[in-house]
Amino acid sequence: MKQLFPRLSLAVALAVPALLAQAADQKQIERGEYLARASDCMACHTAPGGAPFAGGQPIVSPFGTIYGTNITPDKEHGIGQYSDDEFFAAVTQGKRRDGANLYPAMPYTSYHLMSREDSDAIHAYLQTVEPINRAAPVTSLSFPFNVRLGLMGWNMLYGKDVQLAPADGKSEAWKRGQYMVDVLGHCGECHTPRGLPGAMQQDKRLTGGLLNGYLAPSLLADDLAARGWTHQDLSTFLKHGMSAQGTMFNEMFPVFHNSTVGLNDQDLAAMATFLLGDQPPQARTLAAVPTDKLSASAQRGRQHYLNVCAGCHGVEGEGKPHIAVAMQGNTTLRLEDSRNLVRVIEDGIGEQKFAGFEHMQPMPAFADKLSTEQLADLVNYLRQAWGGQPTELAVNQVEQLKADASAEHKAH
Amino acid sequence: MANRPLQLTLNGQSVGPVEVPDDLPMIDYLHEYRNLTGSRLGCGQGICHACVVIVDNPDGTSEEVRTCITGAHFFDGKKVRTIEGHAHRDESGKVTELNPIQQKFVDKFAFQCSYCAPGFVNAATVLVEKLQRQPIKKSQMEQVIEDSLGHHICRCTGYVRYYSATRDVLLDLDLVKEG
Amino acid sequence: MSNREISRRSFLQGGLVAGVSVTLAPLSSQALAALMENSVTVPSEQWLGNNGQARFRNDALSKVCGSKVFARDIRAKDMPGWPQQQGHAMLLKTVRADRIYDGYDLSWLGAELQPDRIVTADDLQKDGIVFPEEHAPDPLLPAGKVPMFIGHPVAILIWNDFERYRQAKSKLKFNDKAIRYGAQVPYYKGEPYGSFRYVRVGGPTSADEDEFASLKDSILFPMIRNRRPEWNSQPDLHGNLNERGMFYAERMKQQLQTPPEDWLVFDERYKTPSIEPAALEPDNGNGWYDPATKTLHFVVATQCPVEAATETAKMIAPSRFGLAKLNMHPGYTVGYGSKDHNIFVYYAALAALYGAGVPIRLANDRYEQFQSGIKRHSFDIHYQLAVDKKDHSFKIFRAEMDVDGGGRINYSASVAAVGATAAQSIYYMPQSDLQATAYHSRGVEAGSMRGYGTLQSMASTEMMVDEIAGRLGIDAIDLRKKNVLRSGMKNTQGAVPAGALRLNEILEKASANEIWKNRDARKKQFDAQDPDNWYGVGFAICQKDFGTGSEAPMASIEYTAEGHITLRHIGIELGTGMSTSQALVVADFLGNPANEVSTGVTDWSELQLTTSGNPYIMSQAEQDNVLRNPRWVGKIASASSATNSAYYFSHATREAARVLFNHGLWPAALEIWRQGPYGGQANPYVVRREDAHWVDGKLTANGMEPLPFAMLAKRAHERGLVTGATVHGFNRWSWAESEFTIDGVRERLPLDGLAVKYGDGAPNVKKAQMNSAGFHLLDRQNVAYPVTQLNNAAVTYYSPVATLVELKVNKGSGEVKVLDHHTWVECGRVLVPELVKGQIEGGVAMGIGHALLEEMPLYEGGPGEGDWNFNRYRLPHARDVAVWKQTSEILPPLSPSDPSKGIAEVVMIPVAGAIGNAVAHAIGKRVRDLPITSARIKEALNG
Repeated sequence: MKQLFPRLSLAVALAVPALLAQAADQKQIERGEYLARASDCMACHTAPGGAPFAGGQPIVSPFGTIYGTNITPDKEHGIGQYSDDEFFAAVTQGKRRDGANLYPAMPYTSYHLMSREDSDAIHAYLQTVEPINRAAPVTSLSFPFNVRLGLMGWNMLYGKDVQLAPADGKSEAWKRGQYMVDVLGHCGECHTPRGLPGAMQQDKRLTGGLLNGYLAPSLLADDLAARGWTHQDLSTFLKHGMSAQGTMFNEMFPVFHNSTVGLNDQDLAAMATFLLGDQPPQARTLAAVPTDKLSASAQRGRQHYLNVCAGCHGVEGEGKPHIAVAMQGNTTLRLEDSRNLVRVIEDGIGEQKFAGFEHMQPMPAFADKLSTEQLADLVNYLRQAWGGQPTELAVNQVEQLKADASAEHKAH
Repeated sequence: MANRPLQLTLNGQSVGPVEVPDDLPMIDYLHEYRNLTGSRLGCGQGICHACVVIVDNPDGTSEEVRTCITGAHFFDGKKVRTIEGHAHRDESGKVTELNPIQQKFVDKFAFQCSYCAPGFVNAATVLVEKLQRQPIKKSQMEQVIEDSLGHHICRCTGYVRYYSATRDVLLDLDLVKEG
Repeated sequence: MSNREISRRSFLQGGLVAGVSVTLAPLSSQALAALMENSVTVPSEQWLGNNGQARFRNDALSKVCGSKVFARDIRAKDMPGWPQQQGHAMLLKTVRADRIYDGYDLSWLGAELQPDRIVTADDLQKDGIVFPEEHAPDPLLPAGKVPMFIGHPVAILIWNDFERYRQAKSKLKFNDKAIRYGAQVPYYKGEPYGSFRYVRVGGPTSADEDEFASLKDSILFPMIRNRRPEWNSQPDLHGNLNERGMFYAERMKQQLQTPPEDWLVFDERYKTPSIEPAALEPDNGNGWYDPATKTLHFVVATQCPVEAATETAKMIAPSRFGLAKLNMHPGYTVGYGSKDHNIFVYYAALAALYGAGVPIRLANDRYEQFQSGIKRHSFDIHYQLAVDKKDHSFKIFRAEMDVDGGGRINYSASVAAVGATAAQSIYYMPQSDLQATAYHSRGVEAGSMRGYGTLQSMASTEMMVDEIAGRLGIDAIDLRKKNVLRSGMKNTQGAVPAGALRLNEILEKASANEIWKNRDARKKQFDAQDPDNWYGVGFAICQKDFGTGSEAPMASIEYTAEGHITLRHIGIELGTGMSTSQALVVADFLGNPANEVSTGVTDWSELQLTTSGNPYIMSQAEQDNVLRNPRWVGKIASASSATNSAYYFSHATREAARVLFNHGLWPAALEIWRQGPYGGQANPYVVRREDAHWVDGKLTANGMEPLPFAMLAKRAHERGLVTGATVHGFNRWSWAESEFTIDGVRERLPLDGLAVKYGDGAPNVKKAQMNSAGFHLLDRQNVAYPVTQLNNAAVTYYSPVATLVELKVNKGSGEVKVLDHHTWVECGRVLVPELVKGQIEGGVAMGIGHALLEEMPLYEGGPGEGDWNFNRYRLPHARDVAVWKQTSEILPPLSPSDPSKGIAEVVMIPVAGAIGNAVAHAIGKRVRDLPITSARIKEALNG
């Protein structure tokens, strides 16, 4: 049925007056624009400061840097010569028009379940964007990934790995959410751990992955609830890039601008429904732990907090509206693995503009401001006071997290 | 709120230890406890950089620190220079010598109302000190100045004179190499 | 009298307001310096170059060393004679305009952090505080009432120490837990603040008599019904002024509705944002009320110290506290207009008054400044312009402007009027109908802010003209040249602007500019090379009035026998370099700049001035009547705003200096040159005063031996000639003139108040005349005041500025990046070129902010809620202003006798229009709402 449908609609379109056909096309284009957003095509195919879909965005992979390609309708460097069939093959199977394999940075492992109708709509939309006559930079990868043929093997092994969880007995919203999250949104590409060849470990789907030294945390319902997420908060987070649990940062931040901000409330709610389930687990709430109940390290950490954090995050961790997130209720503090906490404190966060007038100020990097001991104390304070993580990180553990981070940096 | 002892070196003078609240922002310490009001409160939120002071690190480097979002106790044991500490004065308090950045800002009419001037003086002074350790190439100069002063907000001047005066100082002090 | 004595006198004596002795010693003054450790300015010997030009600002050393320059910097312990203890206050505000205010609850702060004093509306009422009427009603909202606006203050909270204040304030921030809200209610309804209509139908040419014009006939005023203006006068060509005006207005409207074939009628709307002035020094005051002596000592940041002192005295004097004395200390400050006519001053004074003998400081942080600091008005503009498609001449210009004045009236009415009268920009409009109405809203109070309505209307006009050129398919500068005002032509009020208009000269320069000439080729090339961005070039020009139509500058200059020159002035140093340039103006007549300058002076008791009535609306008969009193003036003192220093302030300084020259230095010089038999060296030559020249600080004329200033000063003192002069001037688009008998010589001067001082050697009978605060107060005679009808002229002094901008628009983000800009300015004679250049650079940056970056919601979610700061409100940074590439050009004056014209506001305006035009060139679509954000660009591209 799915394969027939587009041809059917084409036939109908030919039969009606041209104006109506145009309107139908316009509708398909608008739908395609929406789906392109839901699929976050821009994330890889638009460089910072670049024309939309003109490619050039560097994608750092364990095997080298891959550059997003030009998918504007330019005939020379873009996809101006692609037919709907060819486009569908590229999106769902990673097949280039000339038959070569696309690098697996293209998430066809998720897109392979995209409907033909949706693919055509995205293609129709992309044909309306301004053609940019410019080649994307040449990708250079280590062997065997520099050989496009070598990818054949990878594809045979893992290419179609994403299989949807059974939807029996689930609500319509759940099913829609599944399509949005697992297929279009390809959330699992980051939130799933990857094995050595770079392929997702499908048995650990959405249990969290490592990305450029940051943890893309688990999206399993129980894990989300343990970190304080409710259905409402999750939809709000996707819609605004921020919620009581914090803001999107690092690799998730561009996802907001390129994708989730433009999705309708129904789809966002569906995504939350899929992630938390039709019967969401109770979100865990935490009470702040008084200072005298903290460990010695955490108590020392408190003074570091007052020295360099409280100016923005508030003396009581209450945050400042539109300036800096609260520490009370912050989801990052609740991760048992404090990697992100350490990374954020060390690296800082650039200035982040969200929708409307929301504009969070940059967080400074403290890598050369705090010693490892001070960092450990501070992290312990944050974990214990507001993270519900009573266990203490030893200095050498923090040292290790820092070392992991710099190893990642080196790899890039 | 608990007090704790604070000891630091402020414009070359050892201060303290004195008991001050553990959450006291440095800017309040400077203004209300030391009556040094030249580090100005512009945004109070670490955005405008009018309040920056210079911290001299043990390794001989210097850096800007925003006092409105940094606690006084962060500076415990540190060496701090504020805008009030740059110029040399005679016994009557009359200014006898400015630092090279201050002098050039004066000569070039760099500021108008001057509320932001202390921040710019400190940022540019830190830049000069950095380049004294490691000069840069001329081709990098404009970008380096932008990187050093670019976060500072001025509402009166449009920045042109601050930037060109800083450039002149870098050239005058021979901190920029051909290339 | 030594300078120290002069200074002490100005500190210790003063004028009388409402029975209160008001004295004023600016923080910058020697008087205070004598009591404090440092002074702000340095003597001119240090800052003056050998060429007579300023080497640096006279306040530069203090400023660059972070010395205490601003009122903000002052604490009690800095002030001589004040108690050491410093208390602090804050305003508690309600942030919901849709709820009754039902009182406050601070119990949750805990016992330790309770304020030491809470002042509410009840206290003000009970204690007989007479809050300045222009800022009333309800400075503190009484419980049970609907707030007038979001952020309406309800109480002043006072703590007698810093720590408890700091901790309590941090708990009170970002929440309204302390406010008890009552029932939901409709918003407060306020009447419009002002509504005006300027109708003009010119004759066949500008030179012919107008059929109808504001200046010749009248400004039109509506009836107000349901808080909207209603123009219900019956149009009648033979009726009264209103009816005649409406006849012409109606005729224009119909012509636009059914235009001839060969007219193009442009019809679009423009919207401009509410802007936070963002003066980096937030509003503040620090005062000590000494109950024992009933004296208020008051350090305050203000652009209008005389008004602030007067109103403070009148507010407190009748209260139960009583006020015997008010010692005001204005600091150097910055405000871009926002510290003029500012209610904050009176809150600060009240905080001090209720301090129970402890000095209290009320100082906004940035969030509070956003919440309650005066804003630039948001305009909603509807323009219609008819153009002849054949010869491209403008035919009829029609404008309707709705101005959002926020919660208090402030200057909203006049901002609306000024916005309307500026709408024509630089063009001759044969027929025009310009309406503007300023409304109350629940937004933050808007008031005097750099631009004052003209930025809003002129930047829009410049975008309109550019768009029309596009529709006509002609060069936008050619269209401007076709319609530009030339010298002697009338403005939309029917008044002829002052002096030569050099607008066409600027247009010629701009159209010859390579970037403009080749803009389309450049775009093609740039767009091909950089496929990520669109390139655009835009131009705009305007001319902006300066002054307010009721300017009253005062200055006083004295010199000692040793040649030390002191200048006292009403002006406040706002960063523009006013104290430096005024010191230099003195040199025109004294050959040397003032060695010492006191700014912000409010003590002018020697002139014994009085005023009454409103100079803007008084009738001619009323003016004629009050002028019988030789001490009456139209206004006591100007604020430091409205770009008034270069022209108006210089007028007073120059006239005072001229009196000293003509009646002191020149007679002294003649006497020296005529020493010896038969008239000495002067005898063989004819020596004329008009040939006098200062060369290297020495006076010569017609080949006479150059005489140093000090020698002349000494002789003038010995002979008891005029060695000091205090002057007052009044300007209503023209100067008041009167005759004075100065040291026996009768002279007609553009002044309405004059007092002089005679040298040390004056005979006792002459000295005895110096009985008015040490001066001989002269009675003016044959005074000629500008007629009240001139109020309808609205504007006559203009400075023109034009800007050309190159920019690019990013195809992905929609963000605009200014690549380069060039500005042309004509400002007559330049006093200090570096200061003018600095004003251009700063103004252009502010214009870029207005055009591209700065925006906030007016009401809910806006600054009134108290959580706005510079993270969300984007001020231009260096990266936004083409800091390394920008250029500018100041047109040379026609002759050295050109007046110095104000430019502080105008330099900001054309860049805004030019950016709008350049964006249109870049993306091929018009964005008519400012700021041109990426969201609006995307909307325009998709729409």
